[in-house]
Amino acid sequence: MISGYLARGTPLHCVPAGAKLTALALLSLALLPVDDWRLLAAGLCLVLAVYAALGREALRRIALLRPFLILFAIIAAFQLLTATWQDAAASILRLVLMILLADLVTMTTRMQDMMAALMPVLKLLGFSAASRKKLSLMVSLAVRFVPLLAENWNARDEAWRARSGRRAPLRQVAPFLAETLRTSDHIAEALDARGFAANRGRRSK
Amino acid sequence: MSVRDMLLIALFAGIIAALGLLPPINLPLAGGVPITAQSLGVTLAGVMLGAQRGALAAALFLIAVALGAPLLAGGRGGISVFTGPTAGFILGFVPAAFVTGWLFEAWSARLGVFLEATTAALIGGYLVLNLLGIPVLAWIKNQTFREAGAVALTLLPGGVLKAVATGVVGYLAEGLGTRRG
Amino acid sequence: MDETRRRALSRPLMREDIPGTPAQIAFDSVSLARGGNAVFDALSLTLAERRIGLIGNNGSGKSSLLRLAAGLLLPDAGRVLVNGLETREHRRELPSHIGFLFQNPDHQLLFPTVGEEIAFGLIEQDVPVREANERTAALLAAHGCAGWEKRAVHELSEGGKQLVCLLAVIATQPSILLLDEPFASLDLPTRLDMAARLDALPQRVVMASHDLDLLAGFDRIIWLERGRVRADGPPRRVLAAYEAEVRGLAPEARSA
Repeated sequence: MISGYLARGTPLHCVPAGAKLTALALLSLALLPVDDWRLLAAGLCLVLAVYAALGREALRRIALLRPFLILFAIIAAFQLLTATWQDAAASILRLVLMILLADLVTMTTRMQDMMAALMPVLKLLGFSAASRKKLSLMVSLAVRFVPLLAENWNARDEAWRARSGRRAPLRQVAPFLAETLRTSDHIAEALDARGFAANRGRRSK
Repeated sequence: MSVRDMLLIALFAGIIAALGLLPPINLPLAGGVPITAQSLGVTLAGVMLGAQRGALAAALFLIAVALGAPLLAGGRGGISVFTGPTAGFILGFVPAAFVTGWLFEAWSARLGVFLEATTAALIGGYLVLNLLGIPVLAWIKNQTFREAGAVALTLLPGGVLKAVATGVVGYLAEGLGTRRG
Repeated sequence: MDETRRRALSRPLMREDIPGTPAQIAFDSVSLARGGNAVFDALSLTLAERRIGLIGNNGSGKSSLLRLAAGLLLPDAGRVLVNGLETREHRRELPSHIGFLFQNPDHQLLFPTVGEEIAFGLIEQDVPVREANERTAALLAAHGCAGWEKRAVHELSEGGKQLVCLLAVIATQPSILLLDEPFASLDLPTRLDMAARLDALPQRVVMASHDLDLLAGFDRIIWLERGRVRADGPPRRVLAAYEAEVRGLAPEARSA
C-alpha cells in the first residue's frame, strides 16, 4: 500500500499516533503568536536535526517543498516592501516549521495507526461502529484503486500500441471507465458475498 | 449507503488520486500554485456520481491524504498539505464536486450532456475552487485580493481545458449507469 | 458479395508470399533494464522457425522478449529487427508485420462490439471502412462465428473473448504472431480448440507458455532463465530437460 510512511525504528515511530497528532495541534497553536525569527529559526534547526536523524529519505522529502520555494520568495519580497526583514523571515520560518512538523508526524506514523487514532474522534462525533468500519474500508479501497487504474490504462495502451503503433487516444477513456466500473461492481459483489451487510434488510442493487 | 455506492465513491476517490499522478505544471506566474489534472477528477466525480456521492468521493480522497497517503499532485500527502498555501484549493475539492454535480443534475440534459457537464465543471471546478483557494492563498501570502486575483486568471486556461475534458468524458460515458443508485 | 470476392477476401495473403522476404525476428546484442534490474545483457537471437515456444519460470524474461519483438519495449542497447525493420524506427509499420496476443483478453479488448474490435486493425492500416467491415464479416464466418459483428465483447465467454482477440490480430494478416501465455485462463476443451485454430494458421508463431503439452508439437523451444538462453533446440530435448529440472527440485526450492 502506498504511503508517506517511512519505515524506520526511531523513538518517534513508537509514540502513539493520537499523542503525536495532539502534540502537533498544540505545537502549531503555540507557534502562531511567535514573532521572533530567532526562536523560529532555532525551532527549525531542531526539526531539521530530527529529519537528519531519520535518514536520507526523510531529508529527500523536504525536496517535495521545492515548488513552494518560489512562493516563499514572493512572500518574502512582499513582506520586505511593507514590513521589516525580521517579520518577513518570521512568516516564512513559521510556515516552513509547521509544514515540516506535520510531515514529521506523517512520516513516522502508519496509515492504519492514523486511522485507528481517528476512530475515537469519530465515535465522539456520533459515527456508528458500522460507519466507522465502512470508512476504514473505503480508504483502503480508494488507495487500492490507484495502482489498479494505472495498470489497467497501461495494459489498454499497450494493447492499442501493439495493434497500431501509436499511443491510445483519449477517447479510450470511455471503454476504460466502463471496464473499471465492471471491476468495481465485481468487488462490490465480493464484499456483499462476504457478508459485508452495508444495509441490513435492504437489497443493494 | 449500498455496497455499490461505497465502491463508486472509493473508485472516484482513486480516480482523483490517479489523475494527480500525471505531471503537474509549475508556473512561477501562478504564484506557486501547481496546475494539475487533479481537479478534473473532482469535477468528474460530481458529473458521474452526482452532487452527494461526488462530494463524498472528494471527502474520502481528503481523508486518505490526511491519513498520510501521498495522493496529492506531486506525491504529497499527510496533514502538512492542509497547512500549506494550497490548503484552500484542496479543501475546496468537496464543495467543487458538490456544486458541479448539483448543477449538472439540475439541468437534466436539456442542453445536451457535453455542454452541461462542461459548464457545470467550469462553475464548480474553476469558480468555486478558486473562490475558496485564492482567499486562503492571499491570507497566507499577505497579498491584496487583486494580486491574488491575478493568480486566478493564470489558472483560467487550465481550468477551461479541464472543464471541457469533463464535458467530453461525461458525454462519452453517458450510458454507464453511474448516476443511478 | 459474390463468391469469388468472398474467397479472395478469406485467402490468407502472407508477407512471405513475396519472394525474398522470409518472416523473422532478429535480436542483435540487445540489452534491457526494467525498474533498475537488468533483464537482458547483450542477447543475440534469431527467430525464424515456423513454431517457436518460449519457456522459463516467471521473471525469466519471456514477456519482455516478446514485447521487445513487438516494439512495445525498446532495447537500451542493441537492435531488434522485425522482417528487416528496426523496431525503434518503424513502430507505425510493425502492426502489419506482427500480431500480439496478450494473456488476459480483458486487457486487450478495446471496443465494445466484436465487429469494431476486429475491424480496428484494418482501419488503422487505412483500409476503407466498408472493406474493413466486409473482411471482418468474412473472417468471422471463416472461423465459425458468422454474425458475431454486433455482439458485445464483455458478454462473451473467456474462450469467446480470446478467439475475438485472435481474429482481431490476424485480420491484418501479419506474418508473425507473438503470444504471451494466451490460453492460461481457458478451460481444457477451449484451450485445445484454440490450439487447433492456431495450428491451422499460416503465420509464424512465437509463443510463451507454461503448457508443455501444447509446445511438444513445435519446431523449436527456447528456455529462458534470468534473461539468458539456458537451452535452445527441438522440444523433445529442451522440454524434457526443463521438466526434469523443475520436477527434480525440492518443493521448497521450486517456488524460489
